[in-house]
Amino acid sequence: MRSRTRIIITVLVCIALALLAYFAYLLPFYEFLTNDYDVSIEKLFSWEYLKTLVPLIIIIALAAVGIVLIVRLRKLLAKADKSTSHFARARTAKVTSAAPKQKPALFMVVRWIVMIAFSFILIFGGLIFGLGVSSLSIPILSCPWNTEEMTSSSCYYLSHLYELFELPVSSILLFFASTLGFIILLGRAICAFVCPMGLVQDIMDKLRRKTRTEGLAMNEKMYGALKPIKWSLVLIFTGLCFAGGNFCNFCPMVAVSPILAGISTSLYVSGFIMVFVLIAGFFKRRAFCTVCPLGYLMGLFRKVSLFRVKKDCTACTECGACYEACPMGIKMIYTEREKTDVTDANCIMCGECVRCCPEDNALSLTFAGARIYTASRKNVMSGYKPLQLESETHNDNTDKHT
Amino acid sequence: MTIQTNTLERESRQNKRFVSKQTQTAAKYLRRLCELSGAPEGMQPFVETLQRVYVDMLGIVAPYSRKRVGTYCVMAPQELIYAAGAVPVKLCSGNYTAFNIGDDIAPRDACPLVKAVAGFKQTGLMPVYEECSMMVVPVTCDCKKKVAGMLAQQCDVMTMHIPANRQDEDIDEFVRQLYTFAEKLETVTGNPITYETLADGFAKVGYAQRELSEFIRLKKQMPYLVRGTHAMAIMNAAAYMPADSWAAALHRVNVSLRLRAAAGQTVTSKKLPGILLTGSPIVFPNLKIPLLIEEMGGIVAADETCMGERGMYDPPVITDDSFDGMIRALANRSLRPCPCPTFADNKQRLYRLRQLIKDNHIQGVIYHVLRGCLVYDFEYKRIEEELGKLGIPVIRLESDYNEEDVEQLRIRIEAFIELIKLRQAPQKRTSLRTGF
Repeated sequence: MRSRTRIIITVLVCIALALLAYFAYLLPFYEFLTNDYDVSIEKLFSWEYLKTLVPLIIIIALAAVGIVLIVRLRKLLAKADKSTSHFARARTAKVTSAAPKQKPALFMVVRWIVMIAFSFILIFGGLIFGLGVSSLSIPILSCPWNTEEMTSSSCYYLSHLYELFELPVSSILLFFASTLGFIILLGRAICAFVCPMGLVQDIMDKLRRKTRTEGLAMNEKMYGALKPIKWSLVLIFTGLCFAGGNFCNFCPMVAVSPILAGISTSLYVSGFIMVFVLIAGFFKRRAFCTVCPLGYLMGLFRKVSLFRVKKDCTACTECGACYEACPMGIKMIYTEREKTDVTDANCIMCGECVRCCPEDNALSLTFAGARIYTASRKNVMSGYKPLQLESETHNDNTDKHT
Repeated sequence: MTIQTNTLERESRQNKRFVSKQTQTAAKYLRRLCELSGAPEGMQPFVETLQRVYVDMLGIVAPYSRKRVGTYCVMAPQELIYAAGAVPVKLCSGNYTAFNIGDDIAPRDACPLVKAVAGFKQTGLMPVYEECSMMVVPVTCDCKKKVAGMLAQQCDVMTMHIPANRQDEDIDEFVRQLYTFAEKLETVTGNPITYETLADGFAKVGYAQRELSEFIRLKKQMPYLVRGTHAMAIMNAAAYMPADSWAAALHRVNVSLRLRAAAGQTVTSKKLPGILLTGSPIVFPNLKIPLLIEEMGGIVAADETCMGERGMYDPPVITDDSFDGMIRALANRSLRPCPCPTFADNKQRLYRLRQLIKDNHIQGVIYHVLRGCLVYDFEYKRIEEELGKLGIPVIRLESDYNEEDVEQLRIRIEAFIELIKLRQAPQKRTSLRTGF
């Protein structure tokens, strides 16, 4: 009975998603009087730019309100839960000192720099560096409605396959060659290093960590429930154009990239979805990536891409730190005991598992066989510093029992 | 009236006898430990701690204001106890004299560790037990469950349910238990547990673990820089020292070991067979097996026992920097990496042993089983098979908390070490010949 209700709920959610995507154009989030696709550097510093930013500001405000409401609600829930009610205050109180934290790894610093640089290029790059390489397609969710993207993103033609085949043959070939080339070269590392949608979510996650808000503790069941949603999104993503819909009215990225570039384009359901993505990304790291249809399609090519996660199965103690840290909820990485290659279709190569792994060489990220980031206990323990001894500052009880 | 004085007199006589026998055994094993060559510089604080607790029969060294909380398993997180402003004391016992008393209380087939604990609590003479405001007993086996009931007659006891598996839902359940544990600690100590105090607890235990990983790294070096029996004494002393002073003392040991490594000093010039000691917990003063191994010409190169290195080996990894995140990290650390045979599927212990064999250049494995310790005994078969595939000889030594079986153990250990030496002999000859 329980499983039947679960199936019914999933099917209903998927149908609702499909209907929402199909009738997206009927649900405007924010409409401009005229959609203006002309941009220039001067426009970025003008009054008009602020006007185009209005929907983004609304989205951020709504997300902030949503986050505050959820935190409040959770406080109430924690109080209501008998087993944890005693610590409801400790869990939500303002924090003055920090928990021990390991030193930032070079890999992570590089990842952030690359991610910020690419997002900048993909949003403003065309204005500054010109559109010389704009015919190359990178498989990312960076909105092609932003006409100033330095390279185009494959998401447009993948979600408008109908239009793709009306292009000249050379364009089709170039599209496939560049998309596949990037997938093989980088695989889903694109998700962690290049995708602006990833940056938006990572910023939300950073905000949560800075405010020390409790995250959503996910488990297998919850990840399992997200799977059907991901598959229905894949169907919507690739199939909507054949049914006469337009995925872009539904895609959350439309609400960020073009607006930041100074393009005033009316937002439909995508604006609402972006609010959800921001809220979800705040409480659960890379929440949208777990259901991203484009990421799923890229994951299909994991067997051929050059980025790999390698594991020394003997060194692993199955402590599950990698699983707890993984934003994509890949459990196999710590349960695997045979294979050395533990690259999963969902893996976005963010390196979080390697960062948290306390066993020397147990996990490593490799590119074309060369190790670029390896787990080490020294790094994990680097946050723990010598302390002042308490027994030296107080009297001890040497004579208590003589 | 006379009958009453007689019983009182008898009791005090019994107590005196208990104290003298207890201190004698402890002093003897400490002496043997100190006589063993190659003790690292800076080992003194650990020996002193063991002496203080067992020979001088005093409480642990920690500020008065701190309450003591007794733990009976590494799965009860020390971080939480420190967070409540208390000091954890590991109370698993290896005492022969207390075992004899416990023998009359506990059933015949109960394990000696539990009998010794029951014995100590019965006599009420050990300060480390008596000064505890509360005890936590994670129920890792049936004996622990019953001893928890026994202890509850005299002390505030909390039991923790240890699940049979380590699935996600088991972890969630354990998180809930840790919340209950924390609440109980708050009422016992009167100190609130907040994000800040919990972070302090993590910092304290974490630094100790950091020093321990450095110690383990140094210990791995070939030829060996330190004897495993000394390492086991250091780990045993951790039970009766606050984590910060233990870590500071271990830091000095590490410094001296690094100097040893730089000077090219090793524990011994001979190439000794490296033995891995695994199985039931080995608690001071029950050090007869490691001491026999070292005295018979082997070296305890690594141990996989919960009062040894394994007890503090796995660090909690905070993936979500919040109060709940830290509790989850503790729950994760307590259950998932723990190779305790209380779990139904404990295949990971095989990999752990394999890694230790590789890291520490092990040539033979001694599998220690305390009489009546069923869960460890169950796993012997599987481990023997797996190690057989690797070509590592393994023997099972069953022992009890008394000295009657020492001679028998000595013969078996000696034969085992001879066997290993025979196996390495041909290699030695060939290497010598190539030299000419």
